[in-house]
Amino acid sequence: MSARLLVRALRDPDEVAALDADGWNALIAMARAERLIGTLALRIGERPVPPAVGAILADARLDAAREARQALWEADRAAEALAGLDVPVVLLKGTAYAAAGLRAGQGRFIGDLDILVPRDAMDRVERALIGAGWEWVKDDPYDDAYYRRWMHELPPMIHAARDRMIDVHHTVLPLTARQTPDAAAMIAQAVPLTNELSMLSPEDRLCHAAAHLLADGDLAGGLRNLWDIYCLLDGVDGTALEARAAHHGLLSHVRQARRLAMALYGEGRDEGARLTLRDRIVKARLLARDGWGRERRGLLRFAFYLRSHWLRMPPAMLARHLFTKWRKGHRPV
Amino acid sequence: MPARYCQDSPDAIASCVLEDMVLLYHRPSGQTHMAIAPVPEILATLDDGAALTAGELLGQLAQLYDLGEPEEALPLVEAHLAELAALGLVRIA
Amino acid sequence: MNHALTLKIGPATFRIGSAWRQPVDALARLYADYPMPAGAIADFTVRLEPAGPFRRWFRPSIFITGDHGLADAAPMSLAHGLLAAEMGMNLQMALGWRRHLLLHASSVEKDGRALVMTGESGSGKSTLAAQLGERGWRLMGDEFALLDLETGAIFPFPRLVSLKNRAIGVLAAEAPAERMGPLLAGTAKGDIRHLIPRREAIGRMAEGAPPALLLFPRFGHEADVRPVGQGEVFMRLTQASTNYVALGEAGFAALSDFVRNVPARAIDFPSGDEAIALVERLWEELA
Repeated sequence: MSARLLVRALRDPDEVAALDADGWNALIAMARAERLIGTLALRIGERPVPPAVGAILADARLDAAREARQALWEADRAAEALAGLDVPVVLLKGTAYAAAGLRAGQGRFIGDLDILVPRDAMDRVERALIGAGWEWVKDDPYDDAYYRRWMHELPPMIHAARDRMIDVHHTVLPLTARQTPDAAAMIAQAVPLTNELSMLSPEDRLCHAAAHLLADGDLAGGLRNLWDIYCLLDGVDGTALEARAAHHGLLSHVRQARRLAMALYGEGRDEGARLTLRDRIVKARLLARDGWGRERRGLLRFAFYLRSHWLRMPPAMLARHLFTKWRKGHRPV
Repeated sequence: MPARYCQDSPDAIASCVLEDMVLLYHRPSGQTHMAIAPVPEILATLDDGAALTAGELLGQLAQLYDLGEPEEALPLVEAHLAELAALGLVRIA
Repeated sequence: MNHALTLKIGPATFRIGSAWRQPVDALARLYADYPMPAGAIADFTVRLEPAGPFRRWFRPSIFITGDHGLADAAPMSLAHGLLAAEMGMNLQMALGWRRHLLLHASSVEKDGRALVMTGESGSGKSTLAAQLGERGWRLMGDEFALLDLETGAIFPFPRLVSLKNRAIGVLAAEAPAERMGPLLAGTAKGDIRHLIPRREAIGRMAEGAPPALLLFPRFGHEADVRPVGQGEVFMRLTQASTNYVALGEAGFAALSDFVRNVPARAIDFPSGDEAIALVERLWEELA
């Protein structure tokens, strides 16, 4: 069993009509593990399902609605905290999709608030957030120094009263990554959402999502990121997208993300068509989930963990980072 | 110019009166607040959609409740409004 | 997974998978009177996995997870596999249940009305509920009380009662041996032994009852009864609920109705017998 079951249900929800109890149990466990249960519930919509499934999907829809409401509230609070600075604030990922009512946001698990601000405004943003009740999560000086020096964001902050996290980015990939997307151009081209908040342009949304999926992570939770990409591709002009991706140095990532998204979620396509060998390895990693919701293929997973660090950091730094993490008892999970 | 305060939105808050306090459920944030006088009264005064300064609000409250000397009550009302604004229960207009 | 069991407790169906046979066998034995709808669609998946690559065989150690899990959950010894399975189910309920407001409370029923008891671990709420369950009350649950969001009724979650340390002897003296599980010595919470609820409590596990009294018991103090203000009751119940925030306005409405309609008292007691007399008296007076 693999997460192909989940992929098919998202692609064509009519297929769930054929599931037996074992099939449903597997589908639900996978969808929860991939944080796609809310998306699945909205995709299935009003189609007839067994009563036990109906109750689970109804729960998931309520959770998703609450998730979106809370995410928008966090965005509102951040906008209020930063209102006096006269700094552009760009919502990223789930919160942006929910705020704009995009298809990618429907039922989506959101979690932390991610915002993008100009690099030269980071200090002021940090001070304003602290003034409005956010505080640092980590008290580890190594992690703190690592974040500030090499990552594309401030160390994560949490709001003391609301217990919600915010990630403040000044670019969309770590400074150590080989690709260097043009964050200033992303901010300049952002689309207004409210008086204070904006979101990335359609092409930049895709560039960011592809970078996030393929250049900045170990692909954990990748099926959801790929679903985002599939939804975001809808209505985007291919030529404009390629030009933008090339500008950011993300052309190969965007192309690969697009191939994978269409291969997995595209309707009426042969899943195996036109995929490269590398695509197939990534696809195997994305689908490595069994009917109990467990991740499979441990070695493949570990290889991707190493690879994701490799992509982001020069080798000597990688060794230093892994050693420091390892010594403190951290293991890839 | 003193700040003007208004409600977040007309249906943002559900409230429930207990023996010794008022519970406020704030729909946009999903947070529950436990409030004692004069906080429910301040919110009720803003209920008609008006945007009031702390002084104007005090004037309206004083018609209904005994709030003591205005020069002592005003800083208290101002402090409550600032706190409510930080929680997102009222907004600066 | 290698070994699996589907089990229904109250309104929730669990699919439990285990890398080892022992925990599943222990569950099957102790939950024999409960519905085990093989092949049912489960509300939750629970997994008992080896805590590391070789931990299935070598110093077997259980990592408890499932649909909902805690990354930093401490692994457990295979000898405590039954407890691990119980904790796995509790974890799913605590983090994932959305169809009732879930209160960390014990509950019992008499004459069609429910008594709810909540307090910290060690307050005696669980022991008290188990004892009442042997003395003419219907045990609805020792750990979670489920508050219906529409009707305000309390619904049972009558899993096995988890008796700790001193409570083991108290209940072993009242309940027949065939309803007692094996002794799990030296767990993180000391000695633990499970008590199977009476057959009637299991048979009526789908049956709710309107709440008539809320108690905050506290064991180990001079006998005392104190009123508790509604504001304090509300605050303590939000702290005793794992899904109050997740349920949003529906949880707010259900909990505020409960607080306004159900009389509440804090009770202190030095011994179990005095506690039972106190509870029966308050029930007569207030419920």
